[in-house]
Amino acid sequence: MSKNKTLTKKDQMQQDKAQDGQQMLVDFTRPRTNPMANVFDGLVRFCQSRSMFMLHYCTGCGAIELPPAMTSRFDMERLGIQPMVTPRQADILLITGYVSVKTLKRIILTYEQMAAPKYVIGICSCTVNGGMYWQSYATAKVLREYLPVDIYIAGCMPRPEAIIEGLQVLMDDIKTGRAENWKRYFQNYDYYLGNQQKLFGDHWQTPTDIISEARHYDLITENTLGKHTALLEKHQAPLQALEMTLQQNRERV
Amino acid sequence: MTQELNVWLDKILGDIENVKIERKRSNRLRVDVDARALPAVLELLQGRASYVHLSAISCVDRIDDDEFELVYHVWSYEARSLVSAHTRIPRDPGVYLSIYDLYVPAAFFERDIHEMFGVYFEGSPDMGKFILTEWDGPPPMRKDFDSEKFVNETFNREQYHPQWLKDLEKEGGGITTPAEDARK
Repeated sequence: MSKNKTLTKKDQMQQDKAQDGQQMLVDFTRPRTNPMANVFDGLVRFCQSRSMFMLHYCTGCGAIELPPAMTSRFDMERLGIQPMVTPRQADILLITGYVSVKTLKRIILTYEQMAAPKYVIGICSCTVNGGMYWQSYATAKVLREYLPVDIYIAGCMPRPEAIIEGLQVLMDDIKTGRAENWKRYFQNYDYYLGNQQKLFGDHWQTPTDIISEARHYDLITENTLGKHTALLEKHQAPLQALEMTLQQNRERV
Repeated sequence: MTQELNVWLDKILGDIENVKIERKRSNRLRVDVDARALPAVLELLQGRASYVHLSAISCVDRIDDDEFELVYHVWSYEARSLVSAHTRIPRDPGVYLSIYDLYVPAAFFERDIHEMFGVYFEGSPDMGKFILTEWDGPPPMRKDFDSEKFVNETFNREQYHPQWLKDLEKEGGGITTPAEDARK
């Protein structure tokens, strides 16, 4: 989506304008005066719910139930759900199974790369409360402390029918405009960041600048910034583009 | 031929002092050696008896004896048999010799044991972090590391006890043995 691409530039402009005391570039909060707007919103939401790309982060054993759910036996694609290869093009992040502390880092990086609106589905009991790994030192227990989760599909492991039913619930939520948990990540970023810092240490930083994104979506609340984000800003290094080099520096094999 | 080699091996090993051998099956042999003699026994097995494949090194924390038990599993393709060489080292300081010069794959197992049990292998090429890159606590597979206590201090708990599970339990199903009872 182009949203993500132009983000930094737009953000810069927005910040400049905000400093000047002028109006924000895009004002999402203004009331919808056009009576047709709701019709279009409904149509857009319907289309969104029928064409979802799914990024499955197969962390645990629950992944084994996905091939039958996706292929001809249960055929997820009749609902318009297809696997996608990159997080930037995906709508759903499917986390199938236990999340170790090491994987959780990667999940957060993946989640933050996804373009909004984005939905997280936690499959298996392990994402709910650690499941059978409840006393394991390496497994993060409650996934929704680190990311806003839209749907939990509990079970050890849930059958493809349960997965499809969970996806249908998500589709209904999107259609009726209830699936807006992705906004919570921006609105309560301090809470999520605090939990992440507790596990990964105070030096934790992701490449995505969530605070600027929250400003872009106009989702900044009093819970977005707090003592944890203050800690982040202390050591947050600005992102720099990777240096482009030709073959010269590379070792010849 | 394979049987011959095994019988010959029993005799040779039996002649060495401080080595206890116990033949489990025709293709399984357990050898208990002193920690000082283990590299020599492995060299003998590899050089003279065709045990060229190091399958694994396992470590057992014998906390009651204040010792670590190291088990070296070596396999011979010619004799088609597995020899497990057991040895004990004191838990403190938990330092032992690397057998990297005999078996190169040992580096992998030794690094793993160092991470999980804290045993340091002198002469191993790399004793750095391996799988638990995010971990800076004590070696977690030691018996004196209380995983449950660590979890209670680090993570929050979430109860998941929905109505359908309660209904199941009423009929006698669900989780019938609580964790406290299962540990007994």
